[in-house]
Amino acid sequence: MHTTPLRTVAAAFAITVLAAVTAGCGKTEAPKPPPAAAPAPAPAPVAVSVKSIDLGNAIGADKKVTQSMQAFGPKDTIYASVATEGGTGAKVTLTALWTYGDGQKVMESVQEMTPAGPGVTEFHIEKASGWPAGKYTVTLMLDGKPAGSKTFEVK
Amino acid sequence: MTDPKPDFSDVTGGSSATAPAGPAYNLYTIVSGDTLSKIAKRSLGDAAKWKQIFEANRDVIKDPDKIFPGQKIKIPTTPV
Repeated sequence: MHTTPLRTVAAAFAITVLAAVTAGCGKTEAPKPPPAAAPAPAPAPVAVSVKSIDLGNAIGADKKVTQSMQAFGPKDTIYASVATEGGTGAKVTLTALWTYGDGQKVMESVQEMTPAGPGVTEFHIEKASGWPAGKYTVTLMLDGKPAGSKTFEVK
Repeated sequence: MTDPKPDFSDVTGGSSATAPAGPAYNLYTIVSGDTLSKIAKRSLGDAAKWKQIFEANRDVIKDPDKIFPGQKIKIPTTPV
């Protein structure tokens, strides 16, 4: 009898199927990439605040007083150098109210700005006829709210 | 008897900033006898600059010849 070819074909088919099944079972899916890390949250906007107030009779290009002073002469130009920090780029109003003695108003100056980080603002006053001797105060306000003050004397 | 209060009407001043800056101005309260020309002469050194003050205060001054004691106005220290 000539049964060999049939058996051979059947055996070959069985091997092929087995190989396919085995290969299919052994197949592993590529690992899924880990989920992308969530972006770090943006830092919360920091409101502008007054960091320091320095007084002097001269300033540099950086708007800072060249020498911190508490007493001035009658003919001095008086500078208040105000360091601020924070800000979101939104408009803020920085006001300097200069007063004499028990509160007599000398000058009120306003600077509008859009800070988005540290900065320095200078305010200055001068009086051609000379400052009366006595004690003075400069009060800073940010958007109308008190933000610090400094007293000084004219001798 | 108390000492008379010092006169600070001839005080001038201003400001500037390292941060991106907008307008800067001094606030002034109008007193009897003031005109915009007088205020401009005293504050800006030139009576002809009264129009700068008028332009900076169009919201409160409708007629430059009619200003009133007690009105609080802006004296621009940067060009308007």
